[in-house]
Amino acid sequence: MVKVTYVSHDGDKTTVDAEEGASVMHTAIANDVEGIVGECGGAMMCATCHCYVDDAWTAAVGVRHDEEGEMLEGASAEVTERSRLSCQIKLTPELDGLVVHLPEDQI
Amino acid sequence: MPLAPMNESITLDQLTHDPYPIYRRLRAESPVTRVAAAGRTFLTKAHLTKAVKDDPVLFSSDDPNTPMKPAFRAHTLMRKDGTEHMAERKAIMPALSPKRIQADWDPLYESLADEYISRLPRGETVDLFTALCGPLAARILAHILGIPDATDEQMQRWSQRLIDGAGNYGWKAEPFAASESANDEMDALFDELRPVRAAENDGSAFSIMLNADDPIPMSQIYSNIKIAIGGGINEPRDALATAVYGLLDNPDQLAQVRAEDAWGKAFEEAIRWVAPIQISSRLVTEDTELGGFDIPKGDTVMTIQASACRDEELFENGEEFFVFRAKNPHQAFGNGPHHCAGAHVARRTVGKIILPLLFDRFPDMRMTHRDDVIWKGFAFRGPITLPVVLN
Repeated sequence: MVKVTYVSHDGDKTTVDAEEGASVMHTAIANDVEGIVGECGGAMMCATCHCYVDDAWTAAVGVRHDEEGEMLEGASAEVTERSRLSCQIKLTPELDGLVVHLPEDQI
Repeated sequence: MPLAPMNESITLDQLTHDPYPIYRRLRAESPVTRVAAAGRTFLTKAHLTKAVKDDPVLFSSDDPNTPMKPAFRAHTLMRKDGTEHMAERKAIMPALSPKRIQADWDPLYESLADEYISRLPRGETVDLFTALCGPLAARILAHILGIPDATDEQMQRWSQRLIDGAGNYGWKAEPFAASESANDEMDALFDELRPVRAAENDGSAFSIMLNADDPIPMSQIYSNIKIAIGGGINEPRDALATAVYGLLDNPDQLAQVRAEDAWGKAFEEAIRWVAPIQISSRLVTEDTELGGFDIPKGDTVMTIQASACRDEELFENGEEFFVFRAKNPHQAFGNGPHHCAGAHVARRTVGKIILPLLFDRFPDMRMTHRDDVIWKGFAFRGPITLPVVLN
């Protein structure tokens, strides 16, 4: 199990136990975390699972790839250098304790 | 587990006329139902439709015997899975990506919308469906695809014939004859334009696919353009008509949308309320179960996203048009790998450009009467007339 904390736009924190190998997006959906839509189910065909990786975790999570960056351009909320599509972040033991922040809206 | 109950009373005519009371009943009483008239297992709850769309291995789009094949003269990406689907989808996606749309296409969309809205006659009763919604959707798409030489009439006629052919499950001769002649016209135009689009990458879908480093076969480039024609006109057309109807029928909401510049929300609510694409089919590849019933391998399940979009578990008063919902997790663009490739274009054109421009230009626009608006469709649905007085 890997712990992930989602911080809503209003500052509410939700911490859940995720399965190793699951994505940050799928984990949010499976645990009814509000603020992640994931319209395309992780096929990287939409930009509705946008999240901001917490400063302390950006190095461990790594950088986004080109296609992900292009799709992120369609995100509803502001895109920053910490922006990722949460469907593209796979949870490994190294990410135990990960914190991501959720944008104001996804659509 | 038992097989899902069989319903022999629901007819395709009823579903075409008004499916919503039927879906509401099915959601409450029998969310997994084999509907004899359609030869499909209907799934009417949101968690079921999403689960099916998100699992393309167990619920496959691959149907080698689909009438889409003769209708499009190709086995298209809509009916493929996995890497085969991804290769063809990735080939066209750069033309539909948010970046491309905002950087290259926005000014063109705005000028086309302005041109088509400006020519509507003032002080008269106009059927917006035929005078604006269809032609403007056709024009914008023709430019995105790189075939602006096709007329609005051609684009709309080709689209309808492709759709009619693709839905020709009775394998009758006439719809295929009509789609054949449309294919002849499209293939001739594509052949004619190909050298120009290949010579210089102008950012259109045709040009991008031709100029890719590792292009997909020409037959699939053509079929991708046809899929976009078949699937890219009715949806924005119907979304626009439905949004205009919803706003005119609810003046309080229209006032608030204006005040808050909430046109994007109005667009999302319109496609939730009446999803332009109401249903999809998936082939079951292994024995499984859904909602407490056995679903055998070889069965075809029909995800009714129109019904999922009104599911009481997700939406309060889902039968009503209400723009200012706290949450709107609709499934109108589908889910999973086949999630609508045109979602960004539609959100941009209809939600951000056309709706505000139309209501800005005609602030006192009103429907002749809400009962004059005729709704139709089982697979695709929207108003087929939208008479309004423009002033």
